[in-house]
Amino acid sequence: MRPEFKRLKTLALAAAALACGYAAPARAADPLLIGYQMPLSGDYSQYGEMFRNAAELQLKAFNAAGGVDGTPVQILYEDSKNDPKEGVNIARKFADNPRILAALGDFSSTVSMAAGEVYAKVGMAQLSQTASHPEFTKVSKYQFRNITTQAYEGPFTAKWIRQTGPKSVAIVSIQNDWGISAAEEFAKAFKAEGGSVTGIEYFNPGNRDFRSILTKVARAKPDAIYLCMFYEEAASALQQAKQLNVKAPVFSTSSLYSPKLIELGGDAVNGVRMASTFVPENPAPEVQGFVSNFKSAYGNAPNMFAAQAYDAVGIMLAALKAAGPKATREQVRDALAATTGYPGVTGKTSFDPQTREPAKTLAKMVVENGQFKVIE
Amino acid sequence: MPDFFDAYFAQQIINGLSLGLVYALVAIGFTLIFGILNVVNFAHGEIYTVGAFAGLLLIVGAAPPLLAVVLFAMAVGAAAGVGLERLAFRPIRRFSDEASLKSRAMREATLLSSLAVSIVTRELMVHFFSGEMQVIPQAALLQEVIAVGPLTLTNGNLFIFGASVVMLGGLQFMLYRTRVGLSIRAVSNNVLGARHVGIDTNRTIVATFAIGSALGAAAGILVGLYNGNIFPYMGFAPGVKAFVAMVMGGLSSIPGAVISALLLGVSESVATDFISAGWKDMIAYGLLVVTLIFFPQGLFGHGRERV
Repeated sequence: MRPEFKRLKTLALAAAALACGYAAPARAADPLLIGYQMPLSGDYSQYGEMFRNAAELQLKAFNAAGGVDGTPVQILYEDSKNDPKEGVNIARKFADNPRILAALGDFSSTVSMAAGEVYAKVGMAQLSQTASHPEFTKVSKYQFRNITTQAYEGPFTAKWIRQTGPKSVAIVSIQNDWGISAAEEFAKAFKAEGGSVTGIEYFNPGNRDFRSILTKVARAKPDAIYLCMFYEEAASALQQAKQLNVKAPVFSTSSLYSPKLIELGGDAVNGVRMASTFVPENPAPEVQGFVSNFKSAYGNAPNMFAAQAYDAVGIMLAALKAAGPKATREQVRDALAATTGYPGVTGKTSFDPQTREPAKTLAKMVVENGQFKVIE
Repeated sequence: MPDFFDAYFAQQIINGLSLGLVYALVAIGFTLIFGILNVVNFAHGEIYTVGAFAGLLLIVGAAPPLLAVVLFAMAVGAAAGVGLERLAFRPIRRFSDEASLKSRAMREATLLSSLAVSIVTRELMVHFFSGEMQVIPQAALLQEVIAVGPLTLTNGNLFIFGASVVMLGGLQFMLYRTRVGLSIRAVSNNVLGARHVGIDTNRTIVATFAIGSALGAAAGILVGLYNGNIFPYMGFAPGVKAFVAMVMGGLSSIPGAVISALLLGVSESVATDFISAGWKDMIAYGLLVVTLIFFPQGLFGHGRERV
């Protein structure tokens, strides 16, 4: 038999083995795999694109630095379209691939929790960069997140608002799992601080005309307004508030923190205040390195979402490294749970060993003359 | 509660009328193609989006006066409408025997083909412009405040109102006073009959698509500048509401669709004062169901076989 044929035969055998789902012992060159699910098409595709960009940046640096003891890591991306059904299908697909050690994503709490049920069943760690619904980490011991929850952020902002004076507040919130929990956590904390809530107004995702909600808010004459939504909706809401002459000071969830808010909203977004973990003006070398690398790779400045994803991927890769090249899914989970003081661009992150909630530090921000400024 | 009917309530009515006018603006072109011509067209929302993007590109590129922007958007919309007809409708019309013309399956096939064009167009826009809201130069926005006592209007309200009146009047004139309108009504009434009396049905259908789509595109750029957001998915929500308005108005009546659109807008807006805004879509669909139960022909329609 000629050598070419021999090689062909080996290849054919290998292909057959793979096709049968038989996992051959990984050779040194075989990369370790992690799955990443995110919306890459549909209404929230811009967030998915940002996550993938940030992930690629982190992964390239990690592999260039030697990977997991010389074994590179590869990320498989799947498009969930921000649809819970798709999210579950992707989770099953990842779970069925024995070489995938852990999963990242999804974007919204709704999809992450749906997919989380699958990961919980098969025992595979899931780390979401953004799912901040309080119930997410309660799905099972396999759920982790790299974002402070609304249960952490809401009380922080509630206290801040009370310190600046307002006694009553109106809440305008997007009607989804995340928005409802953000609004409720904040309302609870604000009342505990001695304030009153004039009302919680929910709007449907996709709604871009806030005039009737704002008129209703204006009728109640609150001292301040708290927005629980994303920066695109907020840009429209704030422009329309300016147009309707609604003057109450506006505070918001950290999800408004993006340069896009100012680009879209113009003058109308001046004065909005929010808490955030990621501040690109932070002089720390890892933050400045990330900001300049991101800018040179993709041409625009990273926002909080990109930073959350960048750190989520970093935390996952650090856990893979700690677990070693021969680790099982369970060992990766345990390594993830043991994360303490990971020095990321969103502050030092540790996971609580019991609740798996991240601890981070929050900064107070305000939009002033079309720029984000850190207060204090 | 007498103190309820105050300036805020009046503002809520104004909000509702402006919302209704937005729906009406979309519904006018939609009703012309869908209702009058009797073809199921689910790509009107994308024509609306294409119009908004075309207008925005011109604003960013040359910053011309608003009229030029709207005319440009209408030209692009008309071209897109003709393209849509070629892609999604003409291939399905290739059989002209009586059985095929009367076949429901043939008519309903355009539901899927137009839906396909709509999805492909939308995802192409996401591919080239990203799913994000586009940055609109602040000077181009139609959000200049016009205060009337304690109430606020914007110049966008006036433009949208003006455009609705012009479109409605122009279309009624065209449909009932011109030969093009006559042939559109003839084709809508009976394709075979129209052909027998010498009307070029293909040309009439293309003309209807061009006109309806130009109106849809004008709506897109005006509403985009008024609400301050232009993005690939912007056509969906107004498209659905325009559909509801058209059905409520009796499918073939453009003034009916406009009145229903205003009714929808005001009900949604005023309802926000009583229930959570999260439920406001229920108002639209509730009104639709009530209309269909009590007025199966719509509020302003007259009996005719429908898909």
